[in-house]
Amino acid sequence: MKKTGWFCTYTPVELIHAANTIPYGIRNDSKAEHEDVLLGDSMCSYVRSCMGGALTNAYDDLSGVVIAHSCECMRRLSDGWAFRQNQIKPKLIHILDIPKIVTESSIKFFAGSLKRLKNDLENEYGPISDESIFESIEKYKTTRILFTQVEDMRKNIDSAVTGLEVEELVNDYFAMPVEVFNEKLKKFIDEKKDLKSDDLKPRIMIAGGPGNKSLIKAIEEAGALCVCENMCTGSRAFAGTYGDEKDPFELLARLYLEKNPCPRMLGEKSRYKTDELPRLINDYKVDGIIYFSMKFCANMQMDWALLKNHTDIDIPMKVIEGDISSEINEREVYSFVKRLKKRKKKNES
Amino acid sequence: MSHENTVKENTEARKIQLKNFLKANGLGDIEPEDAVKMAFMSEYKTLSPSAKRGYVNAKQFFNAYNFNTSGEFEYHHVAWRSLFVPTEIMYAMNLIPYTTEMVASQLAMAGASSERIETAEGSNFSGDLCSFMKTVAGGVIENIFPTPDILLTSTHICDPSAKYAEIASHVYKRPEFVLDIPYGIYDLYRNKKNKADEKRIEEAVEYVTEQFYEMIEFVTQKTGLELDEKKLKQICKWTNEARKYLDEGNNIILYERTSSKKGIKELDYAANLMQTWGTEEIVDVYKSRYEDYKKNQHEKREITVPRIAWFHLRPYFKNQLMSYLDEKIEISGSQVNFVFFDELDPEDPVRSIARRTVMHPAYSSVMARTTIAIDKIPEDTSGIIAYYPKSCRHFHGGAIMENEMFKKAGIPILTIDGDCVDDRGDDFPIVKTRVDRFLKAISK
Ligand code: SF4
Ligand code: SF4
Repeated sequence: MKKTGWFCTYTPVELIHAANTIPYGIRNDSKAEHEDVLLGDSMCSYVRSCMGGALTNAYDDLSGVVIAHSCECMRRLSDGWAFRQNQIKPKLIHILDIPKIVTESSIKFFAGSLKRLKNDLENEYGPISDESIFESIEKYKTTRILFTQVEDMRKNIDSAVTGLEVEELVNDYFAMPVEVFNEKLKKFIDEKKDLKSDDLKPRIMIAGGPGNKSLIKAIEEAGALCVCENMCTGSRAFAGTYGDEKDPFELLARLYLEKNPCPRMLGEKSRYKTDELPRLINDYKVDGIIYFSMKFCANMQMDWALLKNHTDIDIPMKVIEGDISSEINEREVYSFVKRLKKRKKKNES
Repeated sequence: MSHENTVKENTEARKIQLKNFLKANGLGDIEPEDAVKMAFMSEYKTLSPSAKRGYVNAKQFFNAYNFNTSGEFEYHHVAWRSLFVPTEIMYAMNLIPYTTEMVASQLAMAGASSERIETAEGSNFSGDLCSFMKTVAGGVIENIFPTPDILLTSTHICDPSAKYAEIASHVYKRPEFVLDIPYGIYDLYRNKKNKADEKRIEEAVEYVTEQFYEMIEFVTQKTGLELDEKKLKQICKWTNEARKYLDEGNNIILYERTSSKKGIKELDYAANLMQTWGTEEIVDVYKSRYEDYKKNQHEKREITVPRIAWFHLRPYFKNQLMSYLDEKIEISGSQVNFVFFDELDPEDPVRSIARRTVMHPAYSSVMARTTIAIDKIPEDTSGIIAYYPKSCRHFHGGAIMENEMFKKAGIPILTIDGDCVDDRGDDFPIVKTRVDRFLKAISK
């Protein structure tokens, strides 16, 4: 079966699925960041990894890609991809613009963008009916429901679900057909639902955008538990509430735009995010936050400054600036976890 | 807070903020009133075109702190604005635009930007963020800018500017309106294949038109200011007139010759970025520039120094590069002065402003914006110098592709990775070596 790549979690993968291709999330390090000879060193490492990957045939098994215009770096990735189209194998390139605000008119406009995406997918893969889109919507709805169950388990103080396990699930979601992934999720839930942990470690939330594969490992090896990844390589990939629109494009436009926002969003929706954080801290009983800020990502860097300087979060927060592939400074993580342990002990006594 | 209270609060705050601003510029012992008088000592009419431009900017700057040009108090409603929020609508609502990027460059010219950058970096703003916005962030922390009545932000061009406006709105506790501008519509316009593409362009124009009306309503709700439709018509006419003179002036220096001394001052018009579109004064500024060039227009003759088209901005801090170049090259055009938009329609002003906004070529692919430049630059241009701040993803991130395209088109280009406002990494000897090598190569 053909595969179509996507980059940003604001991409409605349901449409790619309805085109009878497997949506493939290009979310991890291609290990070819240094091969990006086109965009240069002012770009975030995620985008450079994607560009380097494309230029070194890492995505040759894809038939096409949907590049979301989610930020200024992705904008240049779409340029680079088109500029070197003759050297890059995936044939279809669709650039999907995503509004940064959530209003009734931005939802309507985004629905129009999704129709254009559908047309491009049809030109490449054949007709897509509204029924098939609704079928795909149902499958991904199951994913969202199941993933929410996993997240609910993690909210319990004695949760036996580790961050590393969830990280593996998320990676599978990016690469697997949704039908297979849903089965995997069900099995995971069955295995975990009656398990409890009596090792009450400091509970950490990671915030940011795309992550770094060594981060969760470093945190959990330092003796803490990651309970929530408020990231696009975490719970934000599964966020969203379904409306009752009869038009599949409007339904998807609302579902994606109204979800728990990422740092790229602006306006009311972005303000909502700063109000939302205390709720997440409370629900997941978070002891500390590590903000993984991707270098050269202005959205995350500004987001961090806003959080740190202008919100009343009363638990310890730490920023780690890094790249998609950089080594995590384990001592830095260790000392933060140690601080949380001390604080937890003090609060308990 | 009622708007009446906002006005009271802003009035008090701006008094302190102007003092702080002067202090940050090393003018702490000057009273604000005196500073205003000093800025407007020469009579406007007697000034050179470029100095007129400076006068208009200075007037708006002091207005934002509630001073008129005589140094007297006059309350102004100030809207913090990110680049490309249309100033015409703001003037028709009696709002003074305050463009933070421009203020950052003014601070750099006064040698006062690096300290602000250090303040920001010491307050959780990452080192690799855009230095314009770090200058602004530092200035906000040091309370040197006028508290706005409102903030009007656009998603146009870059992320840090829009994201920073959000922070400023938190800091000042003032309402913010965000305009979401669809990306790549200019690309679609250039490459349109069918009716569906045409329809999409119109949908984008409609989407932005609707947002402008929402913005107008928002401003009225929050400040009590209303849109004066008659004034907007007149403002559009001024924009059209200014546009015409700007374009005619550009044509003389790009396609003909003039012996008027332009030098690097030509770059400082930075017309596409300016907040003066829609003022009567800017018509006069561009008209004076045009008349000056026209008066000294002459036949093309053998060039003695290379004719260079300049891309993007320049370093605004004190530097040796620009005075060196001033002797070595002639600037035949500046990309930020090129006229990219059609005339506005005074009979349908809001929609025509929306059309200009979505069609902005800078908010399109590198390929589209480079193709325009290739079409525009005449054959007798010796080459291009592009000065890109390394912290600007939008422009710097396209430099390699742009280079390839220009070289293919036979136009030599030198890209300088620099900074416009942060002088901490300024290394003239290294840049000079590159410039010399480039000038030598193109002279062959
Ligand atoms: S941070 Fe947001 S915009 Fe960036 S990739 Fe993640 S979901 Fe997309
Ligand atoms: S990490 Fe930031 S800059 Fe990079 S793609 Fe995501 S949002 Fe864009």
